Amino acid sequence: MPTIRIYEPALCCDTGVCGVDLDQSLVTVTADIRSLQELGADITRHNLASDPTAFTSDETVRAFMHTVGSKGLPLTVVDGVTVSIGAYPTKEALLKFAGLRAPDAAPTQRLELGLTEKATGGCCGGTGCC
Amino acid sequence: MRFLEDPPRFLFFTGKGGVGKTSVACATALELAGRGKRVLLVSTDPASNIGQVFDITIGNTITEIPGVPGLSALEIDPEQAAEAYRERIIAPVRGLLPDSEIAGITESLSGSCTTEIASFDEFTNLLTDTVAYGHYDHIVFDTAPTGHTIRLLQLPGSWTEFLSTGKGDASCLGPMAGLEKHRTVYANAVRELTDPNRTRLVLVSRAQTSSLIEIDRTFAELTEIGIRGGYVVINGVLPVTAGDEAIATAVRNRESAALSTIPTSIATLPRDTLELKTGNMVGIAALRTLFTTGSPVPTDDAITEETADAPLAALIDELEKDDHGLILCMGKGGVGKTTIAAAVAVALAERGHEVHLTTTDPAAHLTETLHGIVPGLTVSRIDPEDATRLYRDHVMATKGKGLDDNGRAALAEDLLSPCTEEVAVFQQFSHAVHESRHRFVVIDTAPTGHTLLLLDATGSYHREVARQIGDNLPFVTPLMRLQDPEQTKVILVTLAETTPVLEAEGLQQDLDRAGIRPWAWVVNNSIAAAHPDSPFLRQRAANEVEQIARVRALTSRVAIVPLLPEEPIGETKLAALTVGAHQSV
Repeated sequence: MPTIRIYEPALCCDTGVCGVDLDQSLVTVTADIRSLQELGADITRHNLASDPTAFTSDETVRAFMHTVGSKGLPLTVVDGVTVSIGAYPTKEALLKFAGLRAPDAAPTQRLELGLTEKATGGCCGGTGCC
Repeated sequence: MRFLEDPPRFLFFTGKGGVGKTSVACATALELAGRGKRVLLVSTDPASNIGQVFDITIGNTITEIPGVPGLSALEIDPEQAAEAYRERIIAPVRGLLPDSEIAGITESLSGSCTTEIASFDEFTNLLTDTVAYGHYDHIVFDTAPTGHTIRLLQLPGSWTEFLSTGKGDASCLGPMAGLEKHRTVYANAVRELTDPNRTRLVLVSRAQTSSLIEIDRTFAELTEIGIRGGYVVINGVLPVTAGDEAIATAVRNRESAALSTIPTSIATLPRDTLELKTGNMVGIAALRTLFTTGSPVPTDDAITEETADAPLAALIDELEKDDHGLILCMGKGGVGKTTIAAAVAVALAERGHEVHLTTTDPAAHLTETLHGIVPGLTVSRIDPEDATRLYRDHVMATKGKGLDDNGRAALAEDLLSPCTEEVAVFQQFSHAVHESRHRFVVIDTAPTGHTLLLLDATGSYHREVARQIGDNLPFVTPLMRLQDPEQTKVILVTLAETTPVLEAEGLQQDLDRAGIRPWAWVVNNSIAAAHPDSPFLRQRAANEVEQIARVRALTSRVAIVPLLPEEPIGETKLAALTVGAHQSV
């Protein structure tokens, strides 16, 4: 099974609700990841503030932090290959990375984003919720 | 003292900063040791550190108190605990990530949640390790964890997963990444806390509405997470020996008025009242007098220490030179931010300026009575609870709209974090900030430097502003405006007492990190500035001198507002705060 790793900027809560301008993509990706995990996907989020060693133990990510920095996050890596930067993958993309298909019966309703300019924003990304 | 009858093993003292928690905890520990018990006193109060109280060096190792058989003490410095906690997270990556990234991570872990969780982490052992600490009959804490901290520790499944696999999954777990112990240790600690046979919660307050409201809120929050029962201690009530000059009578009237409107949920709890003493609670002899009444009044005419008058009017003279600008009154709850903000606004309006006063005044009576009374003065009010509820509802209705049940649950959980209120209020008052280019805007609240820094760092606010004004125009972010002393004057409000001054100093340091330098300090409710007659109050006034000197060392502009016989409500009384140097009392 492919391993999906999402490296995120410093957030104190995953949905980023403490921002002045709540980032929809964070809310959506939190729900998407939960649902993928329930389907058995190997998908993990790494938050820069709480889990910084994850950003140094992987050479791809460490190099990214030096050349681009946290402003370029989130970074999504699948089996060591960078598949997306600066925005969260859609649920469809995540399902594809994981080699899974969406449940046929009732696909979870999701919002269209169009908010890529705010992908690294967020609050806790943040404000100090904590 | 009712709270000292049949005490269980653990005693926690909680209350607003400056109410005397540490003094009451120290006196309790002395009392219990005097009953022949083995007592450990634990302080997390960086202000009146117990080492100073007992005149020995204690620090973070258990130290026996000389001259008091059976009593030992331990000091936990919350900032030091937080620093150690941050270090556990950051040390492994220092040198491996760019310095700017390290700085960003450090700021993310510099909020009050981190400090709280780190302190709680430090004292879970005291609650659960029966081998190391089992020989103490009583462990007395001069602080208590907040409901938020306990809720975080009680979070169900996600918490276990977080610690076992490192997959953060719930609200605000970021700051918990540095927790070292096994989940069962925290579960045991919470169980000890919620057992009334093991733990007694003592709510310490002054006879003041704001500090009574604070213990009511703490009590409600802790009741909700399962702590049952509680005792109320009203500390520092003015005794008869203070005489009956106008100011003493006024203080007594205010105290009985506050106590007569004590919130109902805490009104039925067992209650003890402690008299105000003339001296500071330093030294074993002084502490032993805390639970007594009718302590001797100083007859000494040698109480001559005076402090120079520093009228608020002098600050107004300087403020009005610009004819516009943003004035932020900051300070901990209960120091009188709203009063000072209202007095400044009224004074500026009476001098012919256009002023918008916007407050979070929970009582509303102080500021709403001003609306439409003074020409040129507009008053608006932000209700923090309303703002927070609106924000939560709005987020759930918009961003949460398309989510499944899991997603909505995660979002709702995050919206319960305490920072939501700060952000919701910030959002409301940022509208008023814009007006300060054309007139005076006086606000009685402000986000912490920590929040401002993080908001600015993410840049989401910048982008929002940029989008509103178009691509090619230069723009100023709220933080940039707050950093510019020409545009923004921050006034730190405090009281001439140890803990409030230390807390204000902490706020100044927090703002300093965000590049904001407070323009002036206001020492409110000063007995010294009221020039009392009775020896009792003159001794209290003399005690203020040291704190006022400390404030003068921290800032170049100070105003001292005297304790007034009547609460400054309404335009005339507020205007009186800013007239001349010598006010009659």
